[in-house]
Amino acid sequence: MAWFDRTAMLWLGAIAVTLIGVFLQGRLDWLATYPETGILPVADLLNAVSNWIVRHFAWLFQGMSALLECPIKGIQQVLQALPWSVAMFLFCLAAYAASGWRLALFTLGASAYMLVIGAWDAGMNTLSLVAISVPSAILVGFAIGVWGFRSRRAERIIMPTLDILQTVPTFAYLLPILMLFGFGTVVGLISSILYSFPPMVRNTLVGLRSVAPEVIESGLMAGATGRQLFWQVRVPSARRQLMLGVNQATMASLSMVIIASVIGGTADLGWEVLSTIRKAQFGESLLVGLVIALMAMVIDRVSSSFAEGSDRPGQTTHRRRLWLIAALGAVLVYGASLVAPILNDWPAAFRFNPAPMMNEALSSFITTFRTQIEMVKTAAFYFVMLPAKIGLQGAVSPFTWGFALTPLHQLTYAAGMIALALWSSRRGSPKIGIAVLIFAVIIYFGLTGLPWPALILIIALVAHGIGGAPMATGTAMGLLFIVVTGNWPAAVLSIYLCGIAVVIAFTLGTAIGIWAAQNDRVSAIVRPINDTLQTMPLFVILIPFVMVFKIGDFTALLAIIAYAIVPAIRYGEHGLRGLPETVIEAARMIGATPRQMLWQVKIPLALPVMMLGLNQTILHGIAMLVIAALVGAAGLEQTVYIALTDGNVGQGLIAGLAIAIIAIIADRMTSGWSRNRQAALGFGAR
Amino acid sequence: MFATLRAALVATTLLAPASVAVAQSVPESGDPIKIVLNDWTGQFTSAKIAGELLKSMGYTVEYVSAGAVPQFVGLANGNLHFQPEVWDNLIGDIYPTAVAAGDIKIVGEIGLDGWQDFMYPAYLEESCPSLPSYTALWDCAQLFATPETFPNGRLIAYPADWGTFDADLIKAIGAPIVAVPGGSEGAMMAEFQAAYAARQPIVMRWWAPHWIFAEHDLKWIEWGAEGRSCTDATEAESQTKDTACGFVQPNVLKVAWGGFEGKWPGAFKMLTAMTITNKDQNAMILEIDQKGRDLDEVVAEWIANNEPTWKLWIEQALQ
Repeated sequence: MAWFDRTAMLWLGAIAVTLIGVFLQGRLDWLATYPETGILPVADLLNAVSNWIVRHFAWLFQGMSALLECPIKGIQQVLQALPWSVAMFLFCLAAYAASGWRLALFTLGASAYMLVIGAWDAGMNTLSLVAISVPSAILVGFAIGVWGFRSRRAERIIMPTLDILQTVPTFAYLLPILMLFGFGTVVGLISSILYSFPPMVRNTLVGLRSVAPEVIESGLMAGATGRQLFWQVRVPSARRQLMLGVNQATMASLSMVIIASVIGGTADLGWEVLSTIRKAQFGESLLVGLVIALMAMVIDRVSSSFAEGSDRPGQTTHRRRLWLIAALGAVLVYGASLVAPILNDWPAAFRFNPAPMMNEALSSFITTFRTQIEMVKTAAFYFVMLPAKIGLQGAVSPFTWGFALTPLHQLTYAAGMIALALWSSRRGSPKIGIAVLIFAVIIYFGLTGLPWPALILIIALVAHGIGGAPMATGTAMGLLFIVVTGNWPAAVLSIYLCGIAVVIAFTLGTAIGIWAAQNDRVSAIVRPINDTLQTMPLFVILIPFVMVFKIGDFTALLAIIAYAIVPAIRYGEHGLRGLPETVIEAARMIGATPRQMLWQVKIPLALPVMMLGLNQTILHGIAMLVIAALVGAAGLEQTVYIALTDGNVGQGLIAGLAIAIIAIIADRMTSGWSRNRQAALGFGAR
Repeated sequence: MFATLRAALVATTLLAPASVAVAQSVPESGDPIKIVLNDWTGQFTSAKIAGELLKSMGYTVEYVSAGAVPQFVGLANGNLHFQPEVWDNLIGDIYPTAVAAGDIKIVGEIGLDGWQDFMYPAYLEESCPSLPSYTALWDCAQLFATPETFPNGRLIAYPADWGTFDADLIKAIGAPIVAVPGGSEGAMMAEFQAAYAARQPIVMRWWAPHWIFAEHDLKWIEWGAEGRSCTDATEAESQTKDTACGFVQPNVLKVAWGGFEGKWPGAFKMLTAMTITNKDQNAMILEIDQKGRDLDEVVAEWIANNEPTWKLWIEQALQ
């Protein structure tokens, strides 16, 4: 009880400090904005370092670049030289060998689509990049995952590095890579590997860790050596999780190949999408974007089917026959393509181009529903986004809410909120009461209206409640770093936008995931939508929203939600479906109703996985936030983007790091909270 | 179809003697000359004309797509060799540094008359009679207002990474307008076309030559009494509401890798002589973006129709 009193006093003190800070910031400038003279020249220092490295070691990296370029160029030349009919035959055969007729037909459809809309050449260029980047990412990711599994100390280095790699925006490290490795396809390859191996590491670690002790036990009983135990017991048992890693690495890699085409030199699908988006050719960019999504689906299904089928015995003769068919068939089709040139080069006249029609349809949609669209957008602005950003004190005006804030309103608001806080601490817990108060203060003054020391204090106190003094110290240090490098105002804007988006995406996504876990049909519908959303180049996700809702925060918000909702859905479903059958059975035996089963058995048990989903939702949200700089989001992401085009390595990295810090703090808080929660519920004794 | 074929044939026959005549001295090196392709049609046409003429002289040419900033890294370290259109008012730090160090060489102006200013659709003049004068930024600020910027009007500015000139200008002249960065050309164009389709008020920073002028009736805001522009950076920075002059207009430059002239002197001379006019480029862009014709076909047609012009460039190069 004494502890509670101290915490409550601490919180009430923090609120008092915040209020005092708000009233003082008119007089003390440094409270409102951190003084410019106090900004540490970290960016300049980084620039100096980077220039030095480039001057002295560029030859080394450019040599590596030339070496790496060879396999890409090789694959590219082979794929370009092959007549499309031969390549298509081989793709379909591979799909058939992996899983059967259905996948082969799907592959046929997908590659025919690519051919018919005239994206074949670009598609082959993308494929050659992916063909190098995906296996590299999987190998690197698996190796690092195993290393982290073997050594706790290594894990302590690996995990934060992964967090940084996944959260520092691509635009920030594209520039240093470009400076070091020179202009060319290798830049895209390296950034794609850097971005796509972390999920493989995470899944390798989780997979290897979660192999049941009984399995290991029986392996030991059977007299397995250390190596056998690892390769023949642990790895196969973790296959499900490993395949999830392969899947995610593949999707991430494709996605990054597309983003990296900003640099150019690839003539791939990404470049195609980018240049059509630059011209606002919505239909065209969507058509090409769909090629990327289809390609991702095919690669994903083929690779996972191969992996699942790999331990089926008695396949050797069948395999050999397939190789024979592949060789003979390829030669036959090649021969045919010599006779009929159409099999070699699809004539431009036969291309199918529905893009103008799509553009027309969209344009008439916008004209017809203009009023409704404006209404949705304005409502979101006035009642959700502006209060969070500039607070009720700025958002409530006759123009927006229809009335001006009077002292009476303010008094009513304050009294109402205090009453609500008192009531909820009586009925629920004092923690809820304090949360209500904090929320009330933030909503009244807005995130941008709070003095920076107050906001840092509040966040650090939350961290203290979750992870004690160490987490509070880490959080405060991270945020102070953002302040002293002069990035705080931009950071607050990023927090505001991404925060709203993540809350919405996670709530909505988890609900859908739970539904999909209960219902196979929903699951079958949701899966391809997820794949499409996650593999659609991020730019393409932006465009429909921009067309309808115009440039600005709201468009950015919707795009972030659309992208960040995917992991929430996936992990929600994965968490429920991955539960051990025995537990479900036991619950059923004691007579749990379906509702009890869901709320009291399944969801609490699946909580750790769902929280991994929240973690990923935040990371995805931030990844999209960065791209949202392209439609005018104004926070740190814009700073990074400006730095990229200014060639300012230091500033880009610092702002990128600031984004990573925010993400990591959010990540630590959510996972810490979930651990506490599990402990309280009596789980997590693993 | 037939016309194109004929045009192509004409082009080949015309080009053939030229390549025979110069076979003695050029190419100085068989290595491919890598020409930058950015992502707007105007630049495509310039790059392809340069490339096709170099090919006719016997050089090996490769086209490489490159982003606006990465291209300068490529040009500076010799991975890329020629870029026909650099707009010198929108560049980061990499380019000037590389030019100062001699890694990138400015070949000269390409002859395009680039214009960048605040642009609005012509239908707006009905609801805002002050237009085209810049005083409309005051008189019609309410018209341009959005929930985000109220009570100020909204100007869609260039993407922040192209520089913050628009916000600076608005600040200097003190107009009740907020400059909202447009993100990217695509986002800006989407915004503009949505507004245009619904005939809503909109004002945004834009540039010419651009295909959009072929599609819609658009106008520039006029600065001062006789629609002039700032002459230099000092004037642009010191302008006020009364002395407003808008922007310093850009030069469009041909730019090459620092070692280009030493490696391919003949090609360098030809590229120095080469120029393109606004009229020609607009005509080509119209054919390609509006009529949906193939880029290479349109370029081949230009080459066929302008033989006396480019023959002169090649002759100058071989002297």
